[in-house]
Amino acid sequence: MTWTLALPELVLAIAGLVILVAGVLPKQETFFPVSMACIGSLLLAAVLVLGQPEGTALGGHYVADDFSGFMKLLAIGGAAIGILLSLDYNTKEGLGRFEFPLLMLLATIGMMVMISANDLLSLYLGLELLSLPLYVIAAFNRDSARSAEAGLKYFVLGALASGLLLYGSSLVYGFAGTTNFDRLADAFSADSGVTAGVVVGIVFVIAGLAFKVSAVPFHMWTPDVYEGAPTPVTAFFAAAPKVAAIALLARVLVGPFGDLAGQWQQVITLVSLGSMTLGGFAAIGQRNIKRLMAYSSIGHVGYALMGLAVANDVGLRGLLVYMAIYVAMNLGTFAVLIAMRRKGRAVEQVEDLAGLGRTDLGTAVWMAVFMFSMAGIPPLAGFFGKLYVFLAAVQAGFWTLAVVGVLTSVVSAYYYLRIVKVMFFDAPAGALDPAPASLTVVMAASGLFTLFFVLWPAPLLAAAQAAAAALLG
Amino acid sequence: MQDAFYLLAAVLLPYAGALITALLPANARTVAWLAGGTALLTLLMVVLGYSDIAAGRIPRVALPWAPELGLSFTLRMDGFAATFAVMASGIGFLVVLYSRYYMSPDDPIPRFFSFLLAFMGSMMGLVLSANLIQLVFFWELTSLFSFLLIGYWQNLAAARDGARMALTVTAGGGLALFAGVLVLGHIVGSYELDAVLAAGNLVRAHPLYLPALVLILLGAMTKSAQFPFHFWLPHAMAAPTPVSAYLHSATLVKAGIFLLARLWPVLAGTDAWFWILCPVGLITLLVGAYVAIFQHDMKALLAYSTISHLGLITLLLSLNSDLAMVAAVFHIINHATFKASLFMAAGIIDHETGTRDIRRLSGLNQSMPFTARLALVAAGAMAGVPLLNGFISKEMFFTEALTAATTPTLLHSILPIAATLASILAVTYSLRFIHGAFFGPETDDLPKKPHEPPQFMRVPVEILVFACMVVGILPSATVGPLLDLAARSILGDATPEYSLAVWHGFNLPLVMSLIALAGGVALYRLLYRHLNAGIDGTPLLERLDGRRAFDQVMVFISWRFARALERLMATDRLQMQLRLLVCIAFLAATLALLPHGLAPGGVQLTPVDPVVALMWVVGGACAIAAAYQAKYHRLAALVMLGGAGLVTCLTFVWFSAPDLALTQLLVEIVTTVLMLLGLRWMPKRIESAGSGHILARLRRLRDLAIAAAAGLGLTAISYATMTRVSPDGISRQFLERAYTEGGGTNVVNVILVDFRGFDTMGEITVLGIVALTVFALLRRFRPAAESVGMPEQQQGEARDWLLIPAVTMRLIFPVIIAVSLYLLLRGHDQPGGGFIAGLMLAIGILLQYMAGGTRWVEDHLRVLPLRWMGFGLLLAAGTGAAAIAFGKPFLTSYFAYADLGPLGKLPLASAVIFDLGVFALVFGATVLMLIALAHQSVRRPRAAPPPPVAALPEPAAAAAGEN
Repeated sequence: MTWTLALPELVLAIAGLVILVAGVLPKQETFFPVSMACIGSLLLAAVLVLGQPEGTALGGHYVADDFSGFMKLLAIGGAAIGILLSLDYNTKEGLGRFEFPLLMLLATIGMMVMISANDLLSLYLGLELLSLPLYVIAAFNRDSARSAEAGLKYFVLGALASGLLLYGSSLVYGFAGTTNFDRLADAFSADSGVTAGVVVGIVFVIAGLAFKVSAVPFHMWTPDVYEGAPTPVTAFFAAAPKVAAIALLARVLVGPFGDLAGQWQQVITLVSLGSMTLGGFAAIGQRNIKRLMAYSSIGHVGYALMGLAVANDVGLRGLLVYMAIYVAMNLGTFAVLIAMRRKGRAVEQVEDLAGLGRTDLGTAVWMAVFMFSMAGIPPLAGFFGKLYVFLAAVQAGFWTLAVVGVLTSVVSAYYYLRIVKVMFFDAPAGALDPAPASLTVVMAASGLFTLFFVLWPAPLLAAAQAAAAALLG
Repeated sequence: MQDAFYLLAAVLLPYAGALITALLPANARTVAWLAGGTALLTLLMVVLGYSDIAAGRIPRVALPWAPELGLSFTLRMDGFAATFAVMASGIGFLVVLYSRYYMSPDDPIPRFFSFLLAFMGSMMGLVLSANLIQLVFFWELTSLFSFLLIGYWQNLAAARDGARMALTVTAGGGLALFAGVLVLGHIVGSYELDAVLAAGNLVRAHPLYLPALVLILLGAMTKSAQFPFHFWLPHAMAAPTPVSAYLHSATLVKAGIFLLARLWPVLAGTDAWFWILCPVGLITLLVGAYVAIFQHDMKALLAYSTISHLGLITLLLSLNSDLAMVAAVFHIINHATFKASLFMAAGIIDHETGTRDIRRLSGLNQSMPFTARLALVAAGAMAGVPLLNGFISKEMFFTEALTAATTPTLLHSILPIAATLASILAVTYSLRFIHGAFFGPETDDLPKKPHEPPQFMRVPVEILVFACMVVGILPSATVGPLLDLAARSILGDATPEYSLAVWHGFNLPLVMSLIALAGGVALYRLLYRHLNAGIDGTPLLERLDGRRAFDQVMVFISWRFARALERLMATDRLQMQLRLLVCIAFLAATLALLPHGLAPGGVQLTPVDPVVALMWVVGGACAIAAAYQAKYHRLAALVMLGGAGLVTCLTFVWFSAPDLALTQLLVEIVTTVLMLLGLRWMPKRIESAGSGHILARLRRLRDLAIAAAAGLGLTAISYATMTRVSPDGISRQFLERAYTEGGGTNVVNVILVDFRGFDTMGEITVLGIVALTVFALLRRFRPAAESVGMPEQQQGEARDWLLIPAVTMRLIFPVIIAVSLYLLLRGHDQPGGGFIAGLMLAIGILLQYMAGGTRWVEDHLRVLPLRWMGFGLLLAAGTGAAAIAFGKPFLTSYFAYADLGPLGKLPLASAVIFDLGVFALVFGATVLMLIALAHQSVRRPRAAPPPPVAALPEPAAAAAGEN
């Protein structure tokens, strides 16, 4: 048996079960210790991922390579910081229940399974293991109608999308005779040509995954869910699961369907174009900053997918670098959003940030850094994320993508900069409560990364390069 | 080595200075000296590097930056870059000196100098970059710091708006430039400037030349405030005057021009270049000059005059002539010197009198004579008065305009006239600047009593004006070598002969100059009354308001378009989202199928039995009817659903799958009943007013069409799939081994309890969890007030309407138990098994609850579903674990047959014990859900909205949960 290869997932799953029991037993609420234990287990899993050898295991269902390592570290990091972000908020909002970090932990296992999936079945298993906890934590604030609505919508639509994906998988199996990625790749590289059923199957699989990354035209749930869910949940949504879903999309398309690139490149190109455009324009009119971030995330997915549409090593490297930078600046931004409380109540309108530059300079400066970075203004990290995907698109001759990408960057710069303007130039709307230490730490950490990425881009680039190479085989 | 040091220092020194200044306390006065020292050192570095260039070498330095991308941080300084570097650092130094006296002690000075130095560093980086991507990087940095500098007085609304407008326009253009550079780099295959500059012919012949050109020109035109993007520059005048003097005369706005000249060898020389740039330059030149005349604010006048001069340089560059190129470079230098000094003079006036409004200023010649003379000379240079530097470059411009006019197109031939006209206008606004402020009667209607500024505030102006005069009188001796190197570094060996002399004889350009001077004076006299009347706005061009257009575009993009797009692409209604999702999936599948078509496979089809076909029609009708009634009559819909389920069940029978049929039947019964019980607590449907409306009908029709299309599509794909030979599965293995290895003849049951016992184990666990979840959810549920009372049907005379069924149900209860046990025991060999038996027994209990009511049943019969479930799960797991005790893998089964004499043989596999566990769990889980639903009827209605959980103390919350 080669199950030891899947040690990170196994350890995390066992840790989750142990923590679950340990969390239930005591009489008093165990939110804080359980959160700490979850973060600890995630860190342990990260260490195990770092030491993971390459290979396939569990009857070919599971694969570990540089790509899975890169993406898993991102997902684990996003999840751990997501739990960290929720500590203060949940306590203050009365959501401090021990199930919360545990659900995030379980979702993380799902992500890791997704990232390492080497079979349509393990893909689906991971996806559902990820989705089910997400449905629950979206509705975690049960007494809020908006949160419940968010959870319900996400569940209904997510179930439909999962159904699409499953249907697509069964079609692929029906026409290709296998669900294993390696054997699928062999089947498709044969000269016998592609049957219509397989193409429809791929389309449905892409549709199901596009839903998870909230790419146009499967984005409709994003603004509602992002707005309705508790803010730390939104932060989590925007970071870790997105990484996992993007990873899965890349793995599926480049791996088993790699020889059919001609068929899906157009689809991804269209999806990318639509996401960039919608993300750029629809965010402008938003007043709720979480809703704005939802559209922003749709746009960012569009940029990331540009790298996938190119479908070569340069493009994939761009995609990976983009996701890494995106996760970092997104977590920082949400740390600021979670810290937005006035007189003990969470506020989430853009106007509530007014005059932050005068009332809390530190937070305002970090937020400005994140906004400038998201807008893609050098020398911040966001610029490099865009640079790498644009370069890849241009080199491969995807002109439309590159040009539309640049133009929508201009448009999205407008609303990011509006936030900066509101913070520094508008009359203060009253001081926000001081940010708790846990959030300040996250802000500072991702802020420093965003600021100083320009000086040492090489390690991340090298890792992304290796990951892309591993994926292309 | 030394070169590398000079270059790196020239870029990094300002940033280092910026960082240090930013860290100083807000009231530090030494900041200015620090900043000035930094600027001077930077200038020194450039000058040190310059000696190399003069010797014919090009200093360069490369540091690895992002080697994976083939990007390194490279700097190079040729003559042209050096010219700009000298301007950026030299004028930067003068501006710092000037700011020392200009800025008020109340302003946060360190921030100002920090931004200024950072801008200087970005500008140095921009001009010294040897890599196009790096150039764009610094380009955007200049936009960013210019934004911060314009918005320095952030409490002024004008400063905020101006800063935002400048950033939006220039950073936006910068991104277009980025796209253009990417295209250009793609054409050449390298982003290194040297490689790009060497590939001119390749680029111009490439099919992507035009897109690259347009994108790059967009970047350059926005930065250099060319029509129609010129409007941001006047609004940027809200910046402190030193910033205007630095950014908006010498450096930032020249960046666009710099780029045009830098890429001149690559991009110029085509018709596209001329026909895009020439009209733009011409319009900018004329409109800028014309509008400048009518400005009352001295800085606005200078801003429009800057626009006009930038247009002039663009026009020169557009002419595709080497001599024009030289003239353009020369004018860049000249304009920077005289315009910076004029801005500083305007700043001095503002500083000493408290106003910059030409209508209020008058006769300053008396109170500040020295400043007046300086301004006079600088304005003379701007107007092109002989013996000043502006005159020489303007003469060159006239010459070029005349040369160009020999080309027989309309645009070419009007150039000399346009040039003369622009010069007339330039003389007029220069006169207005000088005459309006310094001449005329002395006025005491000023916010401050005017007097000369501090000595050192005037020094920068003196230096610049001195430069204007020296260059104007002795051009070739002073600026000659610099200009020569700059021109040579662009044109290379093609550099034409040119002469930098004041006097070229009495020729046509001189005549044009004289006409311009005379015409300008005449025009000023003509307009004098109008201008002094103090009317706001520009005659004839009132409607040309770039700001309004900008605002409208912004409102359109940011409001109307965004809203429209959101309406189109997003909705917060779940139904619409579901509909969209289905439609998109359908469309995607159709599009994917189009090129391939979808043919059925070659499997032989079984003949259709007419009875079964009829049955399916009934089933289909039931399903459609259920969908139709779902909105109007839930009960009817549920009954119809049961009909459809029944047909499915019969289908299983027809396909010889009795196990499936039995399971399906029981599941169907249990779910229907449970749902019926649930329906009891749903609020009544409220007839909405518009339900019979035609639009509602159309909507439903559309939904029907979508559903039908998607359903047919699915059918088609399923048909195509199922008519193909399916991949070889494992079913045959199961059939072959069921008896020999599992000891059972009912393969389905053997699969469930033996071959895939582990799956079953997981499934029953899930079932248990589901039951617990339903129970937990319903525990908190309180029915709506209107559905608490006795249902209509049970009120009045029909009280005992269930009497006879109730008696019957009680009588058959023992029978059901017996049948259930029978099904359980025979399961291993014949249809039946734990799952089916469990459901059967649950149905027995269900019937009792329905017949007798919750209270009656629970008074007579206590089912403890949680214990059943726990027992079942433990039993199933224990059976599996027992195998481990015998040294076999988990869930390995043992089997034998017990001979019961006349009763027949009883299969006694260990799997039966496992099946017993399944039975117990299924029974317990189903009953648990039933009880959860049934207990609603013995609850009190929801009293009041519950208080927020957080506010509830712990015991109270627990108590609320128990009820």
